[in-house]
Amino acid sequence: MSEKIGETQSLCPHCLRTIPADKIAENDNVYLVKTCPEHGTFKVLIWRGVEDYRDLQRYACVFSPPEKIAVQTKGTCPEVCGLCPDHKQHTCLVVLEVTNRCNLKCPVCFASANERYKFHPTIDEIRKMYQTILDYVQHPIVVQISGGEPTIRDDLPEIVKLGKSMGIDYIEVNTNGIRLGEDLDYLRRIKDAGVSSLYFSFDGVTGDVYTKTCGKDLLEPKLRALENCRKVEMGVTLVCVVAPGINLHQVGDVIQFAKKWIPTVKGIHFQPLSYFGRYPKVPEDEDRVVLPDLLREIEKQTNGEIRFDSFIPTSCANVHCDAKSMSVLLEDGSLLPLTTRALGPPRDTKNVATKTRKEICDLWRYIEESVSTSSEEELDGTWLGFIERAKTRYLTISAMPFQDVWTVEAERLQGCCIHTVTPDGKLIPFCLFNINSLDGKTLYRHKVF
Amino acid sequence: MDIKIPDNVKEVIGKRGIKEADIEAVVKEAESSNKKLVKNGRNLAKKKIGDVLVYVDYDIDKGVLSKHAKVNSAYTHRIVLQHIVNADGPSGWTCAHCNEAAAFGHVQMEYMTVKRNGPAVVCAKCGDSWAEEYLATKTLAAVEGLFEKKRA
Repeated sequence: MSEKIGETQSLCPHCLRTIPADKIAENDNVYLVKTCPEHGTFKVLIWRGVEDYRDLQRYACVFSPPEKIAVQTKGTCPEVCGLCPDHKQHTCLVVLEVTNRCNLKCPVCFASANERYKFHPTIDEIRKMYQTILDYVQHPIVVQISGGEPTIRDDLPEIVKLGKSMGIDYIEVNTNGIRLGEDLDYLRRIKDAGVSSLYFSFDGVTGDVYTKTCGKDLLEPKLRALENCRKVEMGVTLVCVVAPGINLHQVGDVIQFAKKWIPTVKGIHFQPLSYFGRYPKVPEDEDRVVLPDLLREIEKQTNGEIRFDSFIPTSCANVHCDAKSMSVLLEDGSLLPLTTRALGPPRDTKNVATKTRKEICDLWRYIEESVSTSSEEELDGTWLGFIERAKTRYLTISAMPFQDVWTVEAERLQGCCIHTVTPDGKLIPFCLFNINSLDGKTLYRHKVF
Repeated sequence: MDIKIPDNVKEVIGKRGIKEADIEAVVKEAESSNKKLVKNGRNLAKKKIGDVLVYVDYDIDKGVLSKHAKVNSAYTHRIVLQHIVNADGPSGWTCAHCNEAAAFGHVQMEYMTVKRNGPAVVCAKCGDSWAEEYLATKTLAAVEGLFEKKRA
């Protein structure tokens, strides 16, 4: 049984030309089937569970398009991006790359760091990129400083201070944490400069996982970095790139690990491996961890503590782009999910991007534990105590599989709210910015940086 | 019986999303069943309407021909009141149904599978309990909001 359930535009994995694509439901899977006149037909798995795929549509938000855009021509998506009038959703997070150098050379790297090109902008070039963000994005503005590895820059504190002084509301740093585990003073300085939280790559709880994803055992350096974050009270989101055969079996362990590190650890972000940048091999269907696969593994490996239906789309990006849950850590050490599909979609799906940005600002920040003057004993077992716990002892678990040249869909790109800022004054959806063809050609990254 | 809601109270209940018809239903049921708290002519009654427990704080003015209720305030919560945990000191309220002094105490309250204790006015005789306005509009509203907020 094969049924066409939708159509869209995608890219040819060989020549990156825009080609029509059909969404086909078959054996309870959803496939993207697309044909390039030159390179033939491609059939790619994008979802497991046809009913679930359809059901998520009720979470679709009312779009709020960007108020200002850099490209004025319509109908050229995705070849001319910047954003353009075809883009439907405004920006909730801007990725600002400050270098492509890195102190690691991992076999898996979306940014293909340390190869092909050199990108290490001066403070003036960074100032221009901040200005682009301020010109196009509405407050509160959330920026993730990324790379390469941003912490190889000794002037990172100055970069952060500059952004804050220019009016960026919230800055997080995407890092492998290696330097932060070795250099407590540097960590203190980036915190004092205004970094609110870290987006900290953490692929598993045993050394062999890092040998596969990063080329060497990095568990001890990762733990040292977390210990330093605890010392300076820097909030951390653990970012776990998930791949079958490497660490898919450890998603439950990562959640148990994170619980022990609350409130330093605020959340876990699972990123099923996308096939762009540097990755081990051309993907088959069985190499694909689609979003429902990950959520089912989480339910299985946590013995139902966090369930498949504890996850809802953020309703900010496309409903098939992400899922999130929010839980309170109870006194007995178990997680109580506050999110559930049973509650249905949000009543107000307007201005979701604005709400998302505010929520990031509220929740990912390190909250002082001593908000209440009452003693622990008085609060124990009461509703007031529950609120106090919820303020500090929470864990956000989210997931976003990035689109690669195989899975990319025009409507997901046009609904995207996570954008990379470029030195030539543009904002480009993160996935589109990074997508590359089989022989490594990109539409944007290598042309811009 | 007439029910009078002063303009300033109308504004408050409007903000809290309470309908005037709900207030009427709460007062009428309390006046016919006598299940309410009383204190120096003041009355506090509650009734479950849908998923929500609606409370009305009102005075009774007894006229020559008819009596009418003057509403002082109204509030709601969705957290479910369960059994009484303890009864401490006197509250000043009387349970009209039992004609017994009601006490300040604690009640187990449940919301979305989570159970915690919260302060309440309790009648040890009939086992009924009432959340006061400050608790419903602050702590309990914060808890309900916490769950609600995470939907968006």
